[in-house]
Amino acid sequence: MPAPSLAPVPAAAPATIAMLLADSRLPAGAHVSSNALEAALRDGLRRGEVGAYLASRQVTVTRVEAGTAVLARHLALTRAPEELATALAGLEAEWAARTPGRAQREITRVLGDGLRRLADVLWPGAIPARSGWPRPVVLGAVAAAAGLPAPELVRLVAYDDAQTVVAALLKLEPGDPRAGAALVLEACAAMEPHVGPLAALQDPALLPSAGAPQTEDWAEAQSALPRRLFRA
Amino acid sequence: MPEPTTPTRSLRLGVAGPVGTGKSSLIATVCRALAGELRLGVITNDIYTDEDARFLRSAGVLDPERIRAVETGACPHTAIRDDVTANLAAVEQLEADFDPLDVVLVESGGDNLTATFSPALVDAQLFVLDVAGGGDVARKGGPGIGRADLLVVNKIDLAPYVGVDVEQMVADALEAREGRPVLALSRSDEASVQELRAWVLAMLAAHREGTHEPQDPGPMAPHFHADGEEHTHDHDHDHEHPHEHSHA
Repeated sequence: MPAPSLAPVPAAAPATIAMLLADSRLPAGAHVSSNALEAALRDGLRRGEVGAYLASRQVTVTRVEAGTAVLARHLALTRAPEELATALAGLEAEWAARTPGRAQREITRVLGDGLRRLADVLWPGAIPARSGWPRPVVLGAVAAAAGLPAPELVRLVAYDDAQTVVAALLKLEPGDPRAGAALVLEACAAMEPHVGPLAALQDPALLPSAGAPQTEDWAEAQSALPRRLFRA
Repeated sequence: MPEPTTPTRSLRLGVAGPVGTGKSSLIATVCRALAGELRLGVITNDIYTDEDARFLRSAGVLDPERIRAVETGACPHTAIRDDVTANLAAVEQLEADFDPLDVVLVESGGDNLTATFSPALVDAQLFVLDVAGGGDVARKGGPGIGRADLLVVNKIDLAPYVGVDVEQMVADALEAREGRPVLALSRSDEASVQELRAWVLAMLAAHREGTHEPQDPGPMAPHFHADGEEHTHDHDHDHEHPHEHSHA
């Protein structure tokens, strides 16, 4: 269905935008991902180690993702519209250089397309028309258009990363869902010391190089996992 | 990098219904009956595997490249209704890669009686039941049974073996559907296959003439609340869309 021509959406408070974007009911195609938890469990990660997996993600791949989103937001706010696509492509190259896993890059682009499909309706023109923008680039451009401040953007990325894993955990290794909610808050706490430095980023070259070979390896394994429940 | 020229918009036809009622087989039948005259594509939705896509590719009824699998992340229901993002992306990519396509068939992951397609994903939808699932299922109703564009009662050749009266099942379905079409189908009964073929062609013609408007069967069957008052939710819907739907 082509993007329906809707009236511009009304401005919303930053907290409302953050809640909207963090809601797993958002129609952006993200429910196909477990953030490689399924492959990790198959590889022997125990349920009791999921908290450690979440915390390690927060300070590695999630920092890269959050930093990319902050930088995309900064570029969208400071660059002229005709320069934005080129500037974002430069940022995309910095992100790709810090995301060595092919599978990880691929799913991030697929999820970016899903979010862009929604953004094209809610915030038309926020992201230059092109397929394959990584999700944090789209998210940053949306944050600029919707008025979400940089620290909240970092926390959004942190929350989303953890909640994606925990929601998948409930399907893969069912346990007490309340314990899962506690895991999400613990993971967000692990990101908190990094919120300030990440939110202050303005130069794409300074995006943290915080790779995590084990995490990327599980993402790679997930992409070829037989009889999997999750695509990523 | 600009987006390429917009590809031709196909008729997007959804095929929903419970597990094991013959959705993949019905799609293979449609492909066999129409691949000679129409440019077709197929999107399958599977929960654990790409088994349905592989079945259809191995059926040899269509160029394997035109059959693609979408993984639904444990949520087959969500992927065709609440969040159609992955399916819509797959349909549009298929349309772009094989432009122009006449019809793209989208097979839902086998779910339950309440799973129907969003009109944001498909222009029209079939709901598939089979006699082996029980002769009383059509009577139970539900959004797909009641309001899909076509209800198929499949595997009618098996009726004698499972003790189901096909005529009664079709009559129950017609009653539940208030006159909307019902097709009793068996892939080994050529007359019924021709009826299915004619229905697809008629829907394609209506789609092209702009006389078919995608309808939402709705997630809710008529139900009762604690206060004893029955309502259907159709009423609310009509306020938002006061125009008449004009298709047959």
